[in-house]
Amino acid sequence: MDRKKILVADDESHILNVVSLKLRNAGFDVITARDGAEALKLAGEQTPDLIITDYHMPNLSGLELAQRLRASGQNIPTLMLSARGYHLTEDELKASGIDQMIAKPFSPRQLLSAVSEMLGVAA
Amino acid sequence: MRLERSLEIFVPASVVAGVFLLAAELSSLAQLVRASSFMALSGGSLILVGAAAGILNYAIIRRQSRELALQANKSLTTGKSTYLAAPENSLGPLVLALNDGFTAAEQTVASALTQVKELQIQLKVATGQRRQAQAIIYSINDAVMVTDSFDEMLLANDAAARALGFDLHAIDRKPLDEVVHGTAIVQMIRDVRASKNASEKRVVEHRMRRDGKDSIFKLTLSCITEANGEPAGVVSVFHDMTRENEISRMKNEFVSSVSHELRTPLASIRAYIEMLIDGEAQDEKTRNEFYDIIQNEANRLGRLIDNILNISRIESGLVEIKKQPLSLMVIIKEAIDVIIPQAKSKNIRIEEQLEPAFYQVTGDRDMLYQSVMNLLSNAVKYTRENGTVTVRTTVDEENQQVSVRVIDTGVGIPAKDIPFVFDKFYRVEANKNVAKGTGLGLSLVKNMIETVHKGRMFVESEVGRGSCFGFTLQLTP
Repeated sequence: MDRKKILVADDESHILNVVSLKLRNAGFDVITARDGAEALKLAGEQTPDLIITDYHMPNLSGLELAQRLRASGQNIPTLMLSARGYHLTEDELKASGIDQMIAKPFSPRQLLSAVSEMLGVAA
Repeated sequence: MRLERSLEIFVPASVVAGVFLLAAELSSLAQLVRASSFMALSGGSLILVGAAAGILNYAIIRRQSRELALQANKSLTTGKSTYLAAPENSLGPLVLALNDGFTAAEQTVASALTQVKELQIQLKVATGQRRQAQAIIYSINDAVMVTDSFDEMLLANDAAARALGFDLHAIDRKPLDEVVHGTAIVQMIRDVRASKNASEKRVVEHRMRRDGKDSIFKLTLSCITEANGEPAGVVSVFHDMTRENEISRMKNEFVSSVSHELRTPLASIRAYIEMLIDGEAQDEKTRNEFYDIIQNEANRLGRLIDNILNISRIESGLVEIKKQPLSLMVIIKEAIDVIIPQAKSKNIRIEEQLEPAFYQVTGDRDMLYQSVMNLLSNAVKYTRENGTVTVRTTVDEENQQVSVRVIDTGVGIPAKDIPFVFDKFYRVEANKNVAKGTGLGLSLVKNMIETVHKGRMFVESEVGRGSCFGFTLQLTP
């Protein structure tokens, strides 16, 4: 079975490192981006199976990233990490292309669990 | 021949008129006439004598009454009671009556004077009390106004004049609605007065636009009543709550901010520990990296907590300041060592341009360390990857001063924010997303450098190019 490819976009190094390591150890291929624009480019080039993105990022926010991808017809399952108090409803999120949201601070285990569920693989 | 009993004058029949020093009764004139008519037979000289006696009598009485009048006048004007000698003639009863009159008048005057004195004393006391009340009212920071039972202005202080926009010297007895233009306030004062209830007190929040700014006042209105229960007036006190509300809001924001700030390093620590526990760090190198990160985050947490505590303690004056001669350069090097891991994680270069260590300042070691640390920490936080932070000290021998500059190639601060950067809790809006902060760091540094060490803070910045934060201290002579 092909290894699933996950794109992780976050401007905080720690988050990027932790998430990448956790997912790689769990058997996923991980590509990383430091801002929304880079993430958009990589998404187009590498067609990941899942995108994990932060909300607050330079150049393009996580939300805008998801919207652009939806608009361009790329329906990649997207998980958004958010810092405090994000005020969109679940429906509004879904409409923007965000399938799931995890609030920061999150635990790596929690993230892996969510990812596995979204990709339909055993955690 | 004897004319009167009081004085006897011997009148020789051959002398027409002499000077009579006689207190003669007018009625004696008749007697004189009778006597003289009896003596008319004795010769015309006696008639003349009689007539002369009459004229003299009149003159005497006239003189006596004048003298009495003068005496009476003197008594009345000097207030000294003089008992007038009552002559034995017809003026006698008159004088006696006058004496009684004078006595009564004197008593009345004395009693009136006493009353006047009493009233003067009362007036003085009342004036004194009023002055005291005024002084108290004038010195109160809150706006105070007193209106009477006709809703006229009785008293107001400077703060009231400023708050409500009227001239303090032009309000006495003016109707309330002429002086105060806020109808809501006027109505409230009227309501309280009309309630006639001595214990009627209203506390309302009242918004006013003043000097183009919105202010919130806590308005306390009390009805004063006289002894009979009738309303004497209303005392209105306006307490400006704007600043209090502002401070309250800032405190709440601060607590939120602080909680978030503390959670972030804590979250990192937990995440990395969880990774270690789950065996995600599969080699020595990774494990060591994780240990380092956990340690750094723990230190960061510690510094943050110290910062917060410091600010509170310095503000409340609890900190013990220990000043001694020390080398700024040594402190700076120590601070740089601590900030290096954070700088490295963003690939930021720290450059040192320090004067020799023998230049000393007299100061509190911990505070100066903290000041340098805060400036360094800010510089690194607000500089993006691959930037540079330079720490430079310069000695001004002539003025015996040393300056410390922390220069970064970071995001810079917009000109409009620069005057406020040292304010507590102030965060530059444009840079809020660049780095997290409590808005306390610079305020703490300013407090420590300027208040405790009598130094001077300065800042220069340009958006997109970077900032230079620094301070100047006197060298130890």
